Amino acid sequence: MIEEKLSTHKSTAEKFIEAANRKKILAQKCLKCGHLMLETVFFCEKCAGNKFEQVDLEGSGIVVTYTIQAVVPEGFEDVGSYAWVVFKLDNAPLRASGLLPGIKTPADLPIGTKVRVAGYDPKHGLMLQK
Amino acid sequence: MNPKAHVHKKITVDDVLKSPVVASPLKLLDCCPFSDGASGAILCSEEFAKKSGRPYIEVIGSGRGASPASVQGREDITTIPSTVAAARQAYKMAGVSPKDIDFAEVHDCFTIAEIIDIEDLGFFPKGKAAHAVRDGATRLNGEIPINPSGGLKSKGHPIGATGVGQVAEVFEQFTGKAGERTVPNSEIALTHNFGATGASAAVHIFKKVDKK
Repeated sequence: MIEEKLSTHKSTAEKFIEAANRKKILAQKCLKCGHLMLETVFFCEKCAGNKFEQVDLEGSGIVVTYTIQAVVPEGFEDVGSYAWVVFKLDNAPLRASGLLPGIKTPADLPIGTKVRVAGYDPKHGLMLQK
Repeated sequence: MNPKAHVHKKITVDDVLKSPVVASPLKLLDCCPFSDGASGAILCSEEFAKKSGRPYIEVIGSGRGASPASVQGREDITTIPSTVAAARQAYKMAGVSPKDIDFAEVHDCFTIAEIIDIEDLGFFPKGKAAHAVRDGATRLNGEIPINPSGGLKSKGHPIGATGVGQVAEVFEQFTGKAGERTVPNSEIALTHNFGATGASAAVHIFKKVDKK
């Protein structure tokens, strides 16, 4: 029975990836104070509680900051010039970050641009699209 | 000015603007080099220091703070909460305020980091540090000299040796070993160091020991 549980157990990272492939962001909601955080925390930032409920949030938001990697490092040739973007989710007071391919200059990505989760790339992590 | 510095070039604003983009908007000369280096300090009691007969400086404040490691986890990317928390503790322990600090060594891994640091440490109001730097307030003869050693961008960034290297600069300043980069009449100095994009920060305040 334990073996069965282990074989079907999914890590938080695996659940996050599954959610991203459904265009969602997996978050944790503190059961004590309700504070929302990304899925990787063990303790609530506000009240230090350690019991959470996992929630799927709509993976759309607006760009709050970014940097452009014009000369890509080895292993990122497939995404060309890209932006690493921090975006605020539309339906939650939470920010997430991801990679948006095809961005060459700041004119391509004004602050406030709408972005959404496109999926999860094993090499590059959370992928975004405009 | 610092014979131990990694980068001994005179850099103009034009040089920075013309240097290649590393990650926009940061150019190459906005970024510190990774350096080879070592630093050391002996932490001891006042009694031991006096008995040694050697010059020493006094630690009067120490603070440590933490922030979320991920940038997206921060409510505001124009401040580093670990610096603010560490500075608050160190000022309280030392019984001084930012206006009492005669010079500071701060973690200027990038140009913007210095601006954020000196606002978080309370030397300038929010949003004013860049203008103050441009007006010369942080130069050797300015209102609050910042990084007389040259800082991470010039002295260099030997990662693990950077924090104690800042302490070594304070020691050299307070014991008459800083040569032409000496901050005149300085008696209280602050060091600020952080790691992992500010996930952890340490602030220390030092006092010059008068030779009697």
